[in-house]
Amino acid sequence: METSFAITGKDYIIVAADTTAARSIVKMKTDDDKIKVVSPHLLMSYSGEPGDTIQFSEFVERNLRLFHIRNNYSLRPSAAASWIRRSLAQSLRSRKPYSVNLMLSGYDVTTDTPHLFWIDYLGTMTEVPFGAHGYGSYFALSLLDRYHNPEATLEEGIETLKRCIDEVAKRLIVSPGKYIVKVVDKDGTRVIEI
Amino acid sequence: MPDMIALSHPASGHPQQRQFNPYSENGGTILAISGADFSVIAGDTRQSEGYSIQTRYAPKVFRLTDKAVLAVNGFAADGNMFVKQVRQRLEWYRHAHAKDMPLRAIARLIQTMLYARRFFPYYVYNILGGIEEDGSGAVYSFDPVGSYERESCRAAGAAQSLVQPFLDNQIYFKNQVPQPGHPHPKHLPLTTVIQLVIDSFTSATERHIEVGDGLEMFVVLAKGSPLYGLENIDGVQEMTATNDGERLFVVRRNLKRD
Amino acid sequence: MNSLANRFSTTGPINELRRAKSVLEDDEFTDSAWGSEAGFGSLAKGVPNFTVPSVPDPSAFLRLHTDDYADPSCRIKIQHGTTTLAFRFQGGVIVAVDSRATAGSYVASGTVKKVIEINPYLLGTMAGGAADCQYWETYLGIHCRLHELRNHERISVSAASKYLSNLVYSYKGMGLSMGTMICGWDKTGPAVFYVDSDGTRLKGDIFSVGSGSTFAYGVLDQGYRWDLTDEEAQELGRRSIYAAGHRDAFSGNTCNLYHVKEDGWKFIGNYDISKLHYDGPGETPGAGYGYDVRVERSAAIAVQA
Repeated sequence: METSFAITGKDYIIVAADTTAARSIVKMKTDDDKIKVVSPHLLMSYSGEPGDTIQFSEFVERNLRLFHIRNNYSLRPSAAASWIRRSLAQSLRSRKPYSVNLMLSGYDVTTDTPHLFWIDYLGTMTEVPFGAHGYGSYFALSLLDRYHNPEATLEEGIETLKRCIDEVAKRLIVSPGKYIVKVVDKDGTRVIEI
Repeated sequence: MPDMIALSHPASGHPQQRQFNPYSENGGTILAISGADFSVIAGDTRQSEGYSIQTRYAPKVFRLTDKAVLAVNGFAADGNMFVKQVRQRLEWYRHAHAKDMPLRAIARLIQTMLYARRFFPYYVYNILGGIEEDGSGAVYSFDPVGSYERESCRAAGAAQSLVQPFLDNQIYFKNQVPQPGHPHPKHLPLTTVIQLVIDSFTSATERHIEVGDGLEMFVVLAKGSPLYGLENIDGVQEMTATNDGERLFVVRRNLKRD
Repeated sequence: MNSLANRFSTTGPINELRRAKSVLEDDEFTDSAWGSEAGFGSLAKGVPNFTVPSVPDPSAFLRLHTDDYADPSCRIKIQHGTTTLAFRFQGGVIVAVDSRATAGSYVASGTVKKVIEINPYLLGTMAGGAADCQYWETYLGIHCRLHELRNHERISVSAASKYLSNLVYSYKGMGLSMGTMICGWDKTGPAVFYVDSDGTRLKGDIFSVGSGSTFAYGVLDQGYRWDLTDEEAQELGRRSIYAAGHRDAFSGNTCNLYHVKEDGWKFIGNYDISKLHYDGPGETPGAGYGYDVRVERSAAIAVQA
């Protein structure tokens, strides 16, 4: 029942992911952080097969870090997204593919624009104004079609995110409990309370 | 699409799959009990497959050293192969270290050897009995992929579920309330243990079709231990090969052959 | 490993030095160093190697012959069914487990040691395949010791659990089955990590694993506080395992209780679950955890008052 959302605004992206780690019917953990800060202006939310998620996200994190160390600058969001997508696509054609779905949210400091990439385990990638993964996406996508405003302020964006969370809580039979919410903008990344 | 080749299956018309099944089940039961300074390891000698008896004498209990005896039950071909390999490793150890491997080390060796086949297991249940370096009697039981535990009594194989509850009652005194002032003994004497083993196998022979023909019972005595009347038992035969001090005996009995 | 190191090397001499160093590395010993390899099992070369059947899909082969859930009549029964728990609190870590091993509906053993003593300050628990847990946690113990010898420092619980998690992840899809808690005390204080054979690794305060885990959680979550005293915490662990032993048919027999403190773990005791039902952990008849026993006890107290 993993769910994650991401919404772009005028000069930011808000990313939210549920915080439960479940094994069959049991919640093993209720404060699991499934949004990784992969470089100073880049957030990656991930979900999918247990084990693969951690291994793949740490693989991405370390490779982007290695790039930063070697070149003294970070990959721009679109370049990072392309690299991640290709890694997944290559993995898909290997003996044991990673089953991981991602959303990559980055603030491009060179052009001062937010970018959101929706990527699934098959290596499908698309740049979107908002995105969602998991069961929550069935409720949130139509809602965001109706309410999303690309020019919204951060406060308005948070209000829209709250609509998504409330709708999922209202309609999904096993709704996720708490969410962790992170924002990326020109100042970098931070966790916010909602 | 004219240039596509149709892959059709001849004759039957539907696909056939051949399964690779390298396992069988050869019946029989093994049993081991340890005392304060001795250990008894026993097994019947019938080998069967389904309802057919293949042989009336196929040993399942093997001397490894003067202080270690291994009983192997399950799939006979795997069992024989496994014992052969354990013995080879013990011989290498003897050549490298000029002594016999201690019992607890043999137990760990068996674990690693079984686990090396984790993805293609030996279908064997092992029970290792013998004397530890501190002179105490010990029994180790294993599952087919190598998890093991030291116990003081264990039955495995076809009649496991008949024999083990009997042993629980007679060895561990399970579900028995002691008389006030007369607590249950911690260790049983050798003669009692031998009688329990014989009774277990005669009873298992009565009630299980895969058990019978012959009983082979190994007795390992610790260094300096008395014979406890073992010399008076019918058909006892000494198998001791070294001067380490531990003594090894085998007792053979007939079981019903029907 | 060498190919990875070489990939990042740029100059010749440094590369040479690396090669010379790798020859000296202690885990790259030859067979002759071990005499005849006698007695070292599949660990003789430091890295275990496994026999795999020559079939197109080895894991399907293994599943066919060992998975008693999919096919109860299959030949090789791997022991299953368990309740294990571990939790962190002010006074350290409590680890409590049951002792039953079942093969199908047969109780294969009632005296299993499901707490694996990795070393004097690390404990691992056993749920799932008994051999998988025993073998790999022993293997982990070897590598924790090597870490100590190489770094002159004890391995952290986090690093030890990650070592295990990466190891089992490399066998993902091959049919390993383990759900374990790695518990200990390091520079950061008491720590509990949940590691399983899908490769999940979670840090947390309270975990319970196995078929009886839901029953254990029911008691554990309700009775848990960070500032529990040592005695209260031990009682909570014991009471939770009793609850699982009572309600889950695949768990039972006895409860083994451990307490990890700053100076390492301590075995607290072994408790018969039937005795806990009637008499509780002490020697007082009628002081048991059982529902009827408890209700009758409070009824008797009400009559007295």
